[in-house]
Amino acid sequence: MADRQRTRRRLPAALVGAALLLAGCFGGPAGDDVVTLDYWCWSQGQAEKVAAFNAAHPGIRVRHTDAGGGTDTATKLLTASRAGNAPDIACVEYPTVPAMVVSDVLRDIAPYTAEVTDAFSPEIWRMTRFEGEVYGVPQDIGPMVLLYHRARFEELGLAVPATWEEFAEVAEQVRERDPDSHLATFAPAEFGNFAGLAQQAGAAWWSVEDRRWTVGIDDGPTLRVAAYWQDLIDRDLVRPEPLLTPEWNARLNRGEVLTWPSALWAPGVIHGIAEGQAGDWAIAPLPHWEGEGPEVALQGGTALTVTKNSEHPREAAEFAMWMNTAPEAVELQIASGQYPACRSGQETAAHSPPPPLTGEQADYWEVAAFAADHTVPSISWGPNVSTAADAYNDAVSAAVRDGTPLPDALRDVHRTVLDDMTRVGFDVTD
Amino acid sequence: MTSTTPAADPAPPPRAPRRRATRAPFVLLAPALALFAAFVLIPIGYALFLSTQGLRIVDEGVFGIRDEVFVGLANYTQVLGDADFRAGFGRLALYGLIAVPLTLGLALLFALLLDNASSRARRFSRVAIFLPYAVPGVVASLMWGFMYLPSTSPFSHLTERLGLGGIPFLDGGAIYPSLANIAVWGGVGFNMIIIYTSLRGIPGELYDAARIDGCGEWRIAWRIKIPLVAPALVITGLFALIGTIQVYGEPTMLSPMTSEISQTWVPLMRIYRDGFVRDDLPLAAAGSVILAVGTLLVSLALLRVTQRRAFGGVR
Repeated sequence: MADRQRTRRRLPAALVGAALLLAGCFGGPAGDDVVTLDYWCWSQGQAEKVAAFNAAHPGIRVRHTDAGGGTDTATKLLTASRAGNAPDIACVEYPTVPAMVVSDVLRDIAPYTAEVTDAFSPEIWRMTRFEGEVYGVPQDIGPMVLLYHRARFEELGLAVPATWEEFAEVAEQVRERDPDSHLATFAPAEFGNFAGLAQQAGAAWWSVEDRRWTVGIDDGPTLRVAAYWQDLIDRDLVRPEPLLTPEWNARLNRGEVLTWPSALWAPGVIHGIAEGQAGDWAIAPLPHWEGEGPEVALQGGTALTVTKNSEHPREAAEFAMWMNTAPEAVELQIASGQYPACRSGQETAAHSPPPPLTGEQADYWEVAAFAADHTVPSISWGPNVSTAADAYNDAVSAAVRDGTPLPDALRDVHRTVLDDMTRVGFDVTD
Repeated sequence: MTSTTPAADPAPPPRAPRRRATRAPFVLLAPALALFAAFVLIPIGYALFLSTQGLRIVDEGVFGIRDEVFVGLANYTQVLGDADFRAGFGRLALYGLIAVPLTLGLALLFALLLDNASSRARRFSRVAIFLPYAVPGVVASLMWGFMYLPSTSPFSHLTERLGLGGIPFLDGGAIYPSLANIAVWGGVGFNMIIIYTSLRGIPGELYDAARIDGCGEWRIAWRIKIPLVAPALVITGLFALIGTIQVYGEPTMLSPMTSEISQTWVPLMRIYRDGFVRDDLPLAAAGSVILAVGTLLVSLALLRVTQRRAFGGVR
């Protein structure tokens, strides 16, 4: 008995010893002079990029973790930051960046990022740079485009709409020519999508100057866009239902969903659902309002941010810059299906093959580059975007369900966001 | 408690050293008390503390920074003043009115049938009825969700074939029975086992006596079995009630499939949203305290109403 107990006690010690020995042998230069950084990101192809970075930087070792999609990672990041153990670098979606700054999660890395200032356009910097303070290096962007089922368009003899006015006309033709199909879905819980459509029309949902905020979720352009979609819903020209449900996926596979006005990442999403339609789809510039320019908003996209918890902000910033500007990293990024935020990456993308879903489209990257070059210059997000998103999804879902007007739902969202900001103590005007 | 104390406590052995006798209970209780404090008292205390805090803007950084400050009862007034939070309790009540009686009724029915000597394939039936309880709630919700969605529902497929059109499981008021069905499906087996175990504990002489007096199986069930398993019914009823108040998983899983279920459909969903989507843990703490106090009051009320009938009758 006594002997067995002793060996039992010794075993863990022996294992630890062996592990240490192994680490000593194979850990390479994992000595004192190597900085270890933790990195959270959920997008595709990160492991390869991180491996490439580690290979190129013997003094820094980055450990990559996929902490879940945008919302999950943001939630975990807030919690971890309060506990003092946030990763050094984290992927954050652009709309969430101000909230992370206000929650004291992110560090200003302006002292380190001077060398990449010209690598990104000023419109892109707007997402992470506030009054000269830099809270992240842009990674990818999602300029909005119209993804359409080209084969079905040809079959029904439809023209690709260039304006929203034409979009409504084409929607009517679809209903006449194939009563089972709709031109598009109005998804009630797609805050980011509607925000993009409103921004394209000129909406400014949040703006800030000297910590004085203005909220405009019920501004003229927003209500105009809401009324436009309400009209399409009322006339049964678009189908109001949630996206990416088994229901919607089945409809898509039957070819009854003809377009998805969304962003450059959309072909990857549709390909995941309807692989059989590879080559049948194409992208076109997002329709614009008659008499207005072709500028579009960005839907989605992320930046690599450095946290206040990080003890090595210089190395963390170096990593964030390398990941988003180094030619090697950008090539891996494009291969994984992301559209790079940096100028050089967008040029590289122009020479790569289109995604499989739109594989037959010769001018895919030209359309993409055009959208990226024509983004609305004034997008800015607020400190409580998650509250807005949540209020939007509930209010618009209820409106669609109960048949109440969408503009009223947007007014409710505006009120909720305003009340929330007032309660928290922001200096905010209507 | 009403239990009578023994007429006379046995006197302590006269020569036992007094100190040891007084120390022993504390030593023996210490581990339990330490665990109770660490995992119940301190978390509750912290939740109460947190519910009086608020994240407010202080002048720092480019936009200002949210910092924890004392706000008194502001979180409580905010939560209680929210019509949607109160409406969540209404939705909960409607859901509970369907789910609880059905779960208990079916559990009792199955338990009585299994207990009946003339039933066949009892072991198989017991396992078959219990099996859904072993399916994780999230899996059950997803599975039922697919069976409700028009394009994947086998039920709607059948009714469409018959020319009756699909069944709108997820639209309008139908969402309540659809959700309750998931809870009933998963909960009946567990409750049945508790009631069945209680039934097996009834002495056989009672049945013999009843049969001699001319009772049929129906009357035995009604007059003997059900009154004697009343304590088990109260316990299962309490579990079902608390389970109803804490319902979260089923509506959360179904909410992406229907616009009928909002982010704040039931109180717990709202608490989750406040704490994690809106990053306002203090507000979530206040909501949790309100929900916990409500659960406690409802449970106490239920026990008070039923205790006399259920436990008093046995004596």
